[in-house]
Amino acid sequence: MDSKNSACGNPNPNPTLGPSKLMLAFRFLRALSLVHRTTPASSRTCRGRRIERAAYASMAYSAGTGRGWSRAVLRRLHHRARRRAVAPRRLSTTAGNRAEALRQLVPGGAGMDYCTLLEETADYIKCLTMQVELMQGIVDSSSSYGP
Amino acid sequence: MEPRGSSGVGSGNSGTYTPEIAESLRFEEEIQSLIDPSFDASSAAGGSFTALLGLPANQAVELLHHPGPGEPPASAATDTLRLPFGCSSTFVERAARFSVFATDDSPASSSGGGLSPGLKAEPPDSDSPPTLPAPAGKPRRPSKRKECEKSKVSRRPRWGFLSRKAVAKKSKSAEENTSAAKPAAEENTSGDKLPYVHVRARRGQATDSHSLAERARREKINARMKLLQELVPGCSKITGTALVLDEIINHVQSLQRQVEFLSMKLAAVNPRIDFSGLDHILSAECGPLAVASGCGGGASDPAMWASDTAASTGGIRRMPAPPQIWHLDVVHPQQSSTVWENNGVAHPHFLLSPATSLVGYDPASSVPLNSNRLKTEL
Repeated sequence: MDSKNSACGNPNPNPTLGPSKLMLAFRFLRALSLVHRTTPASSRTCRGRRIERAAYASMAYSAGTGRGWSRAVLRRLHHRARRRAVAPRRLSTTAGNRAEALRQLVPGGAGMDYCTLLEETADYIKCLTMQVELMQGIVDSSSSYGP
Repeated sequence: MEPRGSSGVGSGNSGTYTPEIAESLRFEEEIQSLIDPSFDASSAAGGSFTALLGLPANQAVELLHHPGPGEPPASAATDTLRLPFGCSSTFVERAARFSVFATDDSPASSSGGGLSPGLKAEPPDSDSPPTLPAPAGKPRRPSKRKECEKSKVSRRPRWGFLSRKAVAKKSKSAEENTSAAKPAAEENTSGDKLPYVHVRARRGQATDSHSLAERARREKINARMKLLQELVPGCSKITGTALVLDEIINHVQSLQRQVEFLSMKLAAVNPRIDFSGLDHILSAECGPLAVASGCGGGASDPAMWASDTAASTGGIRRMPAPPQIWHLDVVHPQQSSTVWENNGVAHPHFLLSPATSLVGYDPASSVPLNSNRLKTEL
């Protein structure tokens, strides 16, 4: 189920400019249509979870492998595909130390020093923002033309 | 160089002793005259013992063996006594050179090289040219020397070193706080290449290799925090690292929650995305770019494709003029994407190793080209 974003395997050709919006849109839409086709209509939550995974996967692929968080996301996705384990991805940030909380939020943050963590957080926020805008746009456009 | 010139003037009798000793003697007297206005240069000639106390041991011994030249340097000192007061730069130069003698046990080697004593407490290697000031604490030096050096040095450039060798910890002397605004860079660049990295320390800051590295790290972290502050909306006005970090954490959490919520919403709605819809989505994000790249070629083809997709959806067909650019190029991904989706169903467990590009898809090879083209138009 995580093969939706395979092919197009080139890492981000313009790492300095940041991830490309069009590639993100393209990948995500492809994955979206795949999910809609393959999952039965009854299991809406299951489909929702798959779409969410597809969103993160397309984000990570668009960001390329030059980023620690994208590598961590892809690693996590591939391992989940093999083991079919569902582990909580979002941990609560009751950690007293804010750096620890940030490490739990950003994928792959546990193995980084503070400086790299800040850099990865910035890139992660950028990609997340783009993904959210894209998904919001899709929802808007599809809902405005529905019956 | 002016100090050399003055030394040439001063010492006409360079036969029995090295000129540096004479210069150090003169310098000592100049300092004495600075400290004590009533200092008589002539008294130094006779009572050269006081001058001897300030000199390094070997130089003093040499002078003792050659007491004769005591007068000429003294008389020469009177000539050159007034010189340094006119221009402070020469004074500092001579101070620097004097410090060379202070830290270097072999004046002969230091005379040839640059104006920089070694930083280590041990006698420096002869091949590594000694570097500028702040002598490491040498306890066996007489205290009088320390006072002289402190008094004579008004402004001295302060250089820290980030070197991999073990650097002797500098004693926290009073000189530590006087960092220079004086651009004496030329003194530092003289000499051979050193394995050290010369970093100018700011005023009032230590120049340990550790503290320099920590300062560089702190500056890096602050730069990244500033970037983050710009990314997170509403974070620029917050002062204080802890609150900013809280804001960042909240922002990341809210973004992740939004992704989850929107994905649930998308699961309910099955979006029939024709590429006119895609145009709208993308143009909403990067509208100005699409308008700016005014390529209107190939109108017939997009029309054909658009009609195709519109027929499939049966929905409202929108084809706004500005995003027409997308039709031309997005056509190809659409075509190959359907192929992929079919293939994707056939190969459900096709795992991608992120580092390598995939092999085996002929349509796949065309997409990177198209995507590059798309990107350039973006």
